[in-house]
Amino acid sequence: MKPAQDSRTALLFLLPLLLTVLIFIAAPVAGTIVESFFRDVTFLPRRFLGVDNFRSLLADRSFHQSVRFTLLFTFASVPLEVALGLIFALVLNRPLPGRGLLRAAVLVPWAIPAAVSGRTFELIYNYSYGLANYLVLTLGVSEAPVNWLGSSYGAFASLVIADAWRTTPFVAIILLAGLSAIPDELYDQATIDGATGLQQFARVTLPLLKPVLTVALLFRTIDALRVFDVAYVITGGGPGGSTNALSLYGYQYFLSGDFGYGSAISVVLFALALILSIFYVRLSGFGRVLT
Amino acid sequence: MKTERPGSLPMLVAAIFLLIFCLLPFGYMVLTSFARRPDYLRGNEGLTFTLENYHDILSAQSLHFLDYLRNSLVISGLSAACAVAIAALAAYALTRLSIPGKGAILFGVLAASLFPQVSLVSYLFKMMNALGWINTWPALILPYIGWVLPLSLWILVSYFAQIPLDLDRAALVDGCSRRQILMRVILPVAAPGIFSTFLLAFIFAFNEFLFALVLSVDHRARTIPVGIALFQGLHGQIPWGRIMAASVFTTLPVVALTLFFQRRIVQGLTRGAIKG
Repeated sequence: MKPAQDSRTALLFLLPLLLTVLIFIAAPVAGTIVESFFRDVTFLPRRFLGVDNFRSLLADRSFHQSVRFTLLFTFASVPLEVALGLIFALVLNRPLPGRGLLRAAVLVPWAIPAAVSGRTFELIYNYSYGLANYLVLTLGVSEAPVNWLGSSYGAFASLVIADAWRTTPFVAIILLAGLSAIPDELYDQATIDGATGLQQFARVTLPLLKPVLTVALLFRTIDALRVFDVAYVITGGGPGGSTNALSLYGYQYFLSGDFGYGSAISVVLFALALILSIFYVRLSGFGRVLT
Repeated sequence: MKTERPGSLPMLVAAIFLLIFCLLPFGYMVLTSFARRPDYLRGNEGLTFTLENYHDILSAQSLHFLDYLRNSLVISGLSAACAVAIAALAAYALTRLSIPGKGAILFGVLAASLFPQVSLVSYLFKMMNALGWINTWPALILPYIGWVLPLSLWILVSYFAQIPLDLDRAALVDGCSRRQILMRVILPVAAPGIFSTFLLAFIFAFNEFLFALVLSVDHRARTIPVGIALFQGLHGQIPWGRIMAASVFTTLPVVALTLFFQRRIVQGLTRGAIKG
């Protein structure tokens, strides 16, 4: 074999990948970071501001509201999705009758575009004739219809539910792969040792599932922080900006032609994602798992 | 054994909950698409079956539903195909050839997928605006290639890593070039993996929303998720029936594809997330 020729081939093969990532991901990200230090408003001369955009963010009440919503949304939806996903994965891992049907059903919410299922949820939450209030009244959960999208609590819950519906399948599928990698012998041994189902779950399943759980948590957290589609479609950030996710807030500035301020918001968003990712990776020793 | 109590009561309850949870909103979407009025659950009239909504979205030119669908299919198809081709080349190099900083490249590409889309979108808008490409197919296809590339690369690397290196060695002895090996030896063996990767990349591109929202203006490039999200009626009356019909019409092919290739998709998703 000719190593010199090989490394030239390698470079050639990698070139399209590197170029695409450079032009369509790295450059935009770098551009956004640079932009966040400028005043860049349509029809106004561009001017270097230093950290003024970030200083303005500190004083911006809508921004505070936006950060608060984004973090609360993440900390409410991710644990819910992982818990539900774990239950679904345990179900799918059992030889229940109709397992094929169950496995197919779980993929349906995942396959539908978020903006499209968002529209369906918008209708589900309709105050006067949506499915949610029909169920609430029929099952007797509440005497009066719930104002899902008109109150800040309702809107928050609506988004968490809609997001959980859409993303739980992904968590379930990843956890299922982790579950099926656990050797049966471990359960056999545990049964011989007299462990109950719950004990087996706590002593065998959970510890062995930890690396996969971490992956699911990490992916979901990063995804939840940048939530856009469902919020844009279902609540539009309302009522009163109470569900204005950071992505949505940045998008609004961008839409109004204030690129600098919008970029500063984006920078905060990915700083948050980075901090939380590092936190997870540290917490779980995930780095060791990968290497 | 795991199989000891397949029908334990909590499991059955959980299974039924899973079915209802996953299918109820979809069922509601389908039902409403066939309803004459969207208020059949609480109104006086009840459910009246009609095909009108489907007829409207398929025949009314002004709704542009078929334009959106065509845009979506072309844009997602082309970007998925390009992403898979680029990822296949790179995955071959990363699994077969000695490259310094292999891990750094893989992690760099993965890290690239962690940036929120909103942090890319203003730069992309300016780029496409400068090129005069706003509201054209390339304005969406090019960013989408970048968007689905990390996922495609990770899945393909894990597939290629499983193909025995002996195949390459034998072909090298026979005097094949690396390009020939990739085309004639690896690709045929990896065809199922390539296909799953394409499917996943296609679905990811098909479902993308923010880029499409910003980089398209009207039916010439607007994709179906944006079309459905912005679907508004006249006089503030939301045409729920039509929206749901459009949703079902859009969703059915993707759902059918997903169910038909269930195994491949699950495999691809787990490979993308879990190494090896």
